[in-house]
Amino acid sequence: MKADRKIITALNAVLKSQLTGINQYFLHARMFANWGFEGLNKSHYKTSIKLMKESDKLIERILFLEGLPNLQSLGKLQIGENVHEALKGDLNYELTSQHVAIQDAIKVTGELHDFASEEMLRDLMQSCEDNIDQLETRLSLIETMGLANYLQTQVEDDD
Amino acid sequence: MYVCNCAGVTERDIHEAVDRGATSLCDLRRELNVAADCCQCACDAKRCLRERKALIEQVALSNLARPGKLGDLGLVA
Repeated sequence: MKADRKIITALNAVLKSQLTGINQYFLHARMFANWGFEGLNKSHYKTSIKLMKESDKLIERILFLEGLPNLQSLGKLQIGENVHEALKGDLNYELTSQHVAIQDAIKVTGELHDFASEEMLRDLMQSCEDNIDQLETRLSLIETMGLANYLQTQVEDDD
Repeated sequence: MYVCNCAGVTERDIHEAVDRGATSLCDLRRELNVAADCCQCACDAKRCLRERKALIEQVALSNLARPGKLGDLGLVA
């Protein structure tokens, strides 16, 4: 089914942001693991895999609309040197890259009456906002309980 | 934060390079290999360079009455 070029461009912009997120979350997850924060490692790893599955759906949708999914393009990764910077980088990514790209794509697909793409994008928006919520909670916990106390909650016992 | 993910260069690395005398992106590239692979960090690296140069200038101006070397100006990394 041939779709308007604008829709393909908008979906590819979301895909680019998703692919950036996969790498950023994955690298941060393994950095956390390296520093010994198993809790943060697990949740970031899960988010990365979730983004991967969402990207798969996007790729299939773009191919169905007879466009070429752009897997070449990748945004700038915002990698932190410590836990606080990493979480801030992730929140910044969600707010300035992911949220904006999805919002623009929802607008375009709505205007061009591609309701199936729009519905898919709304699901992506929901999961983006879940991530924002989680990151904001983590950052506010760091503020209220102090970084050292927060980090202690993310270290799991050695069995 | 990391500025250049390809070469693993942080803001602090760039600040230190500027303190040692780097004045342009070319200098940074020569010294740290920053913005040499995918080049996505070029803008970010330039911003970092500009900010540090501005800081050095500001400190130098405020210390005009007390001449000294750059290392004596009390810059923090």
